[in-house]
Amino acid sequence: MAVYKRGYQRYQGPLTGYWARFLVAPRFAWERLFQQRQVVILLVGAMIWPLFCAVFIYLANHSELWAGFGSGFKNFLEINGKFFLVFMNAQAVFAVLLAALAGPGLIASDLANNALPLYFSRPMSRPDYVLARLLVLVGMLSLVTWIPGAALFFMQVGMAGWGWFSENWRLGVGVVAGFLIWVLIVSLVALACSAYVRWRVVAGGLVLGFFFVLGGVAKMVNTVFRVEWGSVLSPTAAMYQIWCDMLEVETPLGLNTAECIGTLVVLGVLLVVVLERKLRPVEVIT
Amino acid sequence: MTSPVIELDGLRVKLGRREILLGISCRLGASGAGKAIGLLGPNGAGKSTLIQTLLGFHKPVAGRARVLGYDCHRQVREVRARVGYMPETESFIANMTAVTFLRLMGELSGLPQETALEKAHEVLFHVGLGEARYRQLGTYSLGMKQMAKLAQAIVHGPELVIFDEPTNGLDPAARQRMLKLVREMKDDHGMNVVVCSHLLLDVEQVCDEVIIMNNGLIVHQADLEAERRSNRCFVELEVIGEDQGLGGALAGIGADGVSEGGGRWRIVLPPSIEIQSLWALLGRQGLHVRKLTHRRDTLEEIFLKAVGHIQHTPGEAAAEKSLTV
Repeated sequence: MAVYKRGYQRYQGPLTGYWARFLVAPRFAWERLFQQRQVVILLVGAMIWPLFCAVFIYLANHSELWAGFGSGFKNFLEINGKFFLVFMNAQAVFAVLLAALAGPGLIASDLANNALPLYFSRPMSRPDYVLARLLVLVGMLSLVTWIPGAALFFMQVGMAGWGWFSENWRLGVGVVAGFLIWVLIVSLVALACSAYVRWRVVAGGLVLGFFFVLGGVAKMVNTVFRVEWGSVLSPTAAMYQIWCDMLEVETPLGLNTAECIGTLVVLGVLLVVVLERKLRPVEVIT
Repeated sequence: MTSPVIELDGLRVKLGRREILLGISCRLGASGAGKAIGLLGPNGAGKSTLIQTLLGFHKPVAGRARVLGYDCHRQVREVRARVGYMPETESFIANMTAVTFLRLMGELSGLPQETALEKAHEVLFHVGLGEARYRQLGTYSLGMKQMAKLAQAIVHGPELVIFDEPTNGLDPAARQRMLKLVREMKDDHGMNVVVCSHLLLDVEQVCDEVIIMNNGLIVHQADLEAERRSNRCFVELEVIGEDQGLGGALAGIGADGVSEGGGRWRIVLPPSIEIQSLWALLGRQGLHVRKLTHRRDTLEEIFLKAVGHIQHTPGEAAAEKSLTV
């Protein structure tokens, strides 16, 4: 019978389990995100650099193609920590841009339209909601960060052999773990900005400002006060330091890795506190 | 024996430093009976806080609240899986069609994917949004958004539906339609309903039970049907003819009547006596009726008395006066 003819009947059948319900919100959010043209264009754009790196790896492993070039070129084509660091830096920027574009729509619009009571009056807790939103961003940013990073690493392993793998397996771990930390930080920043500002465009701007402006502020503090601790203000600088350590590349900063990890942990805690304060089913004015 | 739909036991809730609910206790409704419970009270009485506590939004500082036998704080998932909630304020998800919105809400409540889609269409036709179901929610009028909110509250077939000011912003026709849908939910689908409203007429039309709150306390709890039955009818009468025997005749049918002279009478009819009996009596006495007005206490009057704005309902006052005279 056609739906419009049969009238409303209460559903009394079996309900789905916790995990099936938990994945509903991310599934709908991904569906909506991939309908946005800018997001798709940026995602495609973010694949160009990994493709270029893949060509680089191919060339590095086929010496017959550049036999006529000098030894300087041979050194340039070496696949090592520096190569992956450059790759990660470029992809990290794309991750921030994508988070700034896609992140604010995940929470800001729910807050602006007062949709939180609708979510929280269903079997969904506040941590569930935040984790579901986090999963959306982590999933999308993974497409441009650790997944192509791991693919490049294994491409190199496939071409250079297991001997190269046994000597450089730490690079693979560094790429995946380093990117996962970055993706988590970027996602938390995007969600917190989105929850704090409520206005999508401003929240997007705030995400960009958070990463790019804070870097400038950190440098300014270092220069004006002739110190090095100003770098703790910049999550990008802290992350770069950690990546350098993971990829066994010479570190440029005065701060050590432990201090940088501490910086990111404090930042993460502050962002979680912002989310905890802002994401409530009803606003309580005391 | 059926368990109550809502059971409050010394419930105290604080928001910030202010205590909003000051230890309220009551048992409302009967699970599976399809009853409607009205929640009334002036602004700031604690109605919305009570609803939000039932949904697990606020943690009680003392006492407990149970919905359909589940503790609202400790078993909040169980409660939310069985409850539908229509918030007072405009609530929707932007840039989404009504069908997608309801599908999302249904799936979040635990409906399987295909069922959620089917129910989304079904409910939208039920609430009168069938033709507009592929339109973005942001383009809906206020009345349509109210109906969409109602649809999301019932898409998963909950045992209890909580409405917070369901007729807010609706024109008279839409208001009647909303009330009809609420009545159908309890009468045809066996759902229990809680209606929180400032519009007493809405509550009077729909509800079987009512609680009136004031300053964080329940000041009146009534079975509306019993209240209607026990509510005496107050009559003002003016007759032409020999009315000396009317007082005795009224006492004969169990009514109290007092003559004010000039053929004017004040009469209080007990709940068991209908107004038709009075007409018949006046006919037998050979009296011509010039004026007869009769009324019962309205829910509004009961409400005003419960929150302390008036000391007696008009019915009570009339009864008192007639007895005094």
